[in-house]
Amino acid sequence: MSALAPIVWIVAGYALLVALAAAVGVAWRAPRPRWLDQLAWMLELLSAVLAVGALGLVVNGHRPDSLSTHLGYVAAVVVILPVALLSIREDRGSWSSGVVAVAALATGVVAVRIWMTR
Amino acid sequence: MTQVSAPRPSAPGPGPSAGSDRPRSGPHLVLLALYALFILASGSRAIVQIATKFSEAPIAYLLSAVAACTYVAGWFAIRRAAAGRPAFARVMLWVELGGVIVIGTLSLVVRSWFPDDSVWSDYGKGYGWVPAALPILGLLWVHRSPAAKERS
Repeated sequence: MSALAPIVWIVAGYALLVALAAAVGVAWRAPRPRWLDQLAWMLELLSAVLAVGALGLVVNGHRPDSLSTHLGYVAAVVVILPVALLSIREDRGSWSSGVVAVAALATGVVAVRIWMTR
Repeated sequence: MTQVSAPRPSAPGPGPSAGSDRPRSGPHLVLLALYALFILASGSRAIVQIATKFSEAPIAYLLSAVAACTYVAGWFAIRRAAAGRPAFARVMLWVELGGVIVIGTLSLVVRSWFPDDSVWSDYGKGYGWVPAALPILGLLWVHRSPAAKERS
């Protein structure tokens, strides 16, 4: 399971970076820039890699203490960002960056929870 | 020669968009995102706990389910308020805040009722106290935002 550690911390750290960038956008009252969406989709890609890695470990015989909780977190880590980005696809107002901040922060927390429930 | 300017995207601002119930951009978007997250977090937590170990802490797990239902209602309440119908939100957010305070206090005073944590145990400590902050932020928004003013 230690093989998963680097990607967990990369996802968590990068998620924090995306959340901070989005929070700055809200603070500046600036319309949501395209690059923030690109940062968020990159985080989604990293989250998908994390989810595949976590699922691979389970398939290869690793059994977490609570399998259902662990799988719930694995599903959540890939679902949160796309749902958030779809919900604001027609809105480029500054507050839509706040949605990205919340989703990115939640993705980071869920990534750490995947590590904690391994 | 007449210059034709390209149509500008609608400027973000509070208040419901004309001719639609869909609210414009505003702080409520962040509130809705937080409520959606807590529907996911508390709902899945309650489902897993009730399905796998209900007998260990029935009160705590049922209260987690109640919290999840409250977040669903809160999400709809914020959405309605953003569309200019704040009456439900004014009630629902107070109910939610009352739930967090009562259950948070009970979890500290009557520990035996909570062998395992519910979402609102210790005022939502397990979720960084966001459950306690959410209804307060929602109430502040409902009372201050022009978006949440009653439509005439």
